[in-house]
Amino acid sequence: MDVVATRSQLAAALARVADGDRAALRIVYQDTSAKLFGVCLRILNDRSEAEDVLQDVYVTVWRKAASFDPARASPITWLVAIARNRAIDRLRASAVSRRAEPIENAEAVRDEAPSAVDLVVAAEQQARLKICLGELEERQSSVIRSAFLDGMTYEQLAERMNVPLGTMKSWIRRGLIKLRACLER
Amino acid sequence: MSETDHNGTPEDDRRVLAGEYVLGVLDATERRAAVQRIEYDADFAREVAFWEEKVGGLADDVRPVAPPEGMWSRIEAAISEPVATPAPQRGGVWNNLPFWRVFAIGSAAVAAACIAALVVIGTGVLRDEGAPLLANIRQTSPGGQPGFVAAIGAGGTLVIVPASLLTADQKSMELWLIPVAPTGTTATPRSLGLIAPNQPVRITVPPQLVPLVTRDAKLAVSREEPGGSRTGAPSDDIIAVGDLTNL
Repeated sequence: MDVVATRSQLAAALARVADGDRAALRIVYQDTSAKLFGVCLRILNDRSEAEDVLQDVYVTVWRKAASFDPARASPITWLVAIARNRAIDRLRASAVSRRAEPIENAEAVRDEAPSAVDLVVAAEQQARLKICLGELEERQSSVIRSAFLDGMTYEQLAERMNVPLGTMKSWIRRGLIKLRACLER
Repeated sequence: MSETDHNGTPEDDRRVLAGEYVLGVLDATERRAAVQRIEYDADFAREVAFWEEKVGGLADDVRPVAPPEGMWSRIEAAISEPVATPAPQRGGVWNNLPFWRVFAIGSAAVAAACIAALVVIGTGVLRDEGAPLLANIRQTSPGGQPGFVAAIGAGGTLVIVPASLLTADQKSMELWLIPVAPTGTTATPRSLGLIAPNQPVRITVPPQLVPLVTRDAKLAVSREEPGGSRTGAPSDDIIAVGDLTNL
């Protein structure tokens, strides 16, 4: 696997995708598909659904690459946002009831460069996020993290944590307000 | 915000709702409403972008999983499907059925509706107004099926045709023009009048709004109380949105 080690290289590949360059899409795919598949799989907990969504994600990237603005977003967060949105939409649209427990590492990792994209999110941005999450109450940062990773609704989170729905909403909302203020600093 | 139990300022509410949307805690209905709001509320869209960028790094905790071998081929096949490409002008684009067939890719019913659009428009409604702008107004429900196809001539004549079966009920459907807003401002939707869910409608855009009919402005359809919006603004129930594009 070729590793695109820097944010600017991935951004450059996306710019070429916007011009209709298939080889560039392939580069983006090679460097990010394992990460995005992991993201979809974690949310959907169903391999076949996650595959459908992953295909849809790269088709979306192909069609919408021109709307990626490197001045406003980093390539990997832009891609992760597309993958999460597609996966969550699929999850909400499906009548299938949601699993009760999250899966952790349900699939064997078969990737020689597991952290290729980790290099792409700016280290300082990651550090800031970590600091800001650290300023929240433990339970707030924990539910915010698991909401993000598992794509669970308020209702599902409340059920899982065995707290009233209103309590869950207020934990997360207060957490978001605090987190927003910290991230802005 | 999914429920009004929070007494913050509108700005706080907007920020929290954007955070809730990005986090993914909203249920299907609330989520749809948030997606619609991204389309017409630039401040909200900016806030969503902020959250996506700032908390996207949480995905670092997800272990990568290699997709199956055939995945790239599937993607390559999917991007090779025809998309709307400008057709040769031979004989005029209005006579070009394949163009209309691919303009709103979808079911046979959609193709039929596009041909209906061709017939309506081709009969001369817009013939004298030069190159029109088109919009594929997609439903905001998951899947984003085409809801309407619209064409607007430079003179302000607009034809809008339903592109899929929409259920008629007691509510009225109202068409809105959402102009391109200068950076840092929010566009104000302007009503273009009521439309029908089941038949083509011809509308004359008021002269003062014609200059706002530009590429990348949007057309949106909302469900309103019978007779249309009384507030001058669309209700929260926006059922379809699409960008105006050049032919």
